[in-house]
Amino acid sequence: MSARWRYILTEAFVGLRRNLMMTVAVVLSVTVSLTLLGASLLLSEQVDLATDEWVDKVEVTIFLCDGRTCPAITPEQEQALRRELEAEPIVEEVFYESKQEAYERFTELFRNQPSLIETVDPDILPASFRVKLVDPDQFMVIAAGFAAFPGVEEIIDQQEVLEQFLRFTAIVRNAALVVAGIQLIAAGVLIANTIRVAAFARREQTSVMKLVGANNWYIRLPFVLEGVLAGVFGALLSWGLLYGSVPAITDQLAEDIELMPFISTPEVLAVGPLLLGAGAGIAAFSSVVALRRFLDV
Amino acid sequence: MITLMNVTKTYKRGANDEVVALREVSVEVGKGEFVFVVGPSGSGKSTLMKLLTCEQAPDQGEVWVAGKNLRTLRSWKVPALRREIGFVFQDFKLLGTKNVRENVAFAMEVIGRSRREIERRVPEVLELVGIEDKAGALPHELSGGQQQRVSIARAFVNDPGILLCDEPTGNLDPTTSVGIMKLLDRINRTGTTVVMATHDQHIVDSMRRRVIELEDGVVVRDQSRGVYGYTG
Repeated sequence: MSARWRYILTEAFVGLRRNLMMTVAVVLSVTVSLTLLGASLLLSEQVDLATDEWVDKVEVTIFLCDGRTCPAITPEQEQALRRELEAEPIVEEVFYESKQEAYERFTELFRNQPSLIETVDPDILPASFRVKLVDPDQFMVIAAGFAAFPGVEEIIDQQEVLEQFLRFTAIVRNAALVVAGIQLIAAGVLIANTIRVAAFARREQTSVMKLVGANNWYIRLPFVLEGVLAGVFGALLSWGLLYGSVPAITDQLAEDIELMPFISTPEVLAVGPLLLGAGAGIAAFSSVVALRRFLDV
Repeated sequence: MITLMNVTKTYKRGANDEVVALREVSVEVGKGEFVFVVGPSGSGKSTLMKLLTCEQAPDQGEVWVAGKNLRTLRSWKVPALRREIGFVFQDFKLLGTKNVRENVAFAMEVIGRSRREIERRVPEVLELVGIEDKAGALPHELSGGQQQRVSIARAFVNDPGILLCDEPTGNLDPTTSVGIMKLLDRINRTGTTVVMATHDQHIVDSMRRRVIELEDGVVVRDQSRGVYGYTG
């Protein structure tokens, strides 16, 4: 059995070496596509991280006084504020976030910047009401109506702050995804073609194998493995590229931009298995498709 | 060992253009027989050989080889069938990058035989075909007759029940051909069924074995201890 596996592996490596130019083209093409794919995934993660969990749900955040800059809100005032908000016809839903919840979310958000977390006291972050509006453009009604409400510290229009940023990053991410997709298809076609060339170059050997009764998988596996190895090389390269560049960029940005959470090494490492899977998967698929007709019984 | 029952095979060359390669052919070859299949080009010899190896399927009729009905044989079982058959071709089909020993060992490696089995069996077969002194040579360093001996060794190394030979002497001069025929005869005497398609009249006449003659896809003669043609 080990002799057979040695044969399969040797054949795969011999194929890669014999076709060195094609192999280089395949590996680079997989690298480019998976780097783009990984970058767009990381960008999504960055956006998710930077825009808190409320952003899709609420338009208005009402921060509540905790006694630092204004007299702390009393439980009765809090109750009254909630009742008033819920009574407004333009309000669809009201969520409450306690100081403890705010701190938990903060530590999760800035998990890559522990020094920042250290400087923040657990009770420094204000509690808030998060408000979802029936019509998002009605922010001014809430801002004007509740700014003077006792116990209200500040009212923020979430939409205005984040909408443009979100729209911009979504465009960048989608563009990267589209290019990654096209490039991945190109890589797949290139792999299929390479495997077909390899199979053609070894057609005599293949036909002898068929005649003496070698199993189909035994005939095909070296070729499929050849494609998969190239795909995995490409995936490893793209992983290395992202690992070498993304944390360096985001760590620098985290220093420059205050109070914005950034992804870092853990997120880049986490995307690796996905890249490897995508590289190996697309290569295996292309190889099998390329061989389906070529090596028929 | 081999049974064809009312086998018909046609090839389509166009919408209304069909060529009948075999027409209601029924043949039975028993275990250990030596059979020549003769006939002019286009008589259906090659088609007959391809049906036996499952490279082609008949349109009608049934083909049985080594106890297996090829019509109902699943494609993943075709490799197992081919292990029961050894193939010898006019053009040898040796792998040019492997030497004699490796070419023969290859047939054992790819069906998963153990290293020890291979090391025991290959020299034995090389000796049987009389090429043991050339074990390290590459195919292009050998004469045609020697190459054909290697290809027979490869066909025989896995102990197939049947040896199919498609014009094995087609590229060889008469003297060399006689040597090859002696070798095939010796293999046949070990109990291996040999089916040989050929044009070579002298060989058929001198061997005096069973002859099946095809003409336009029909069996026109099936004669034990036959000669190439009626008038030959």
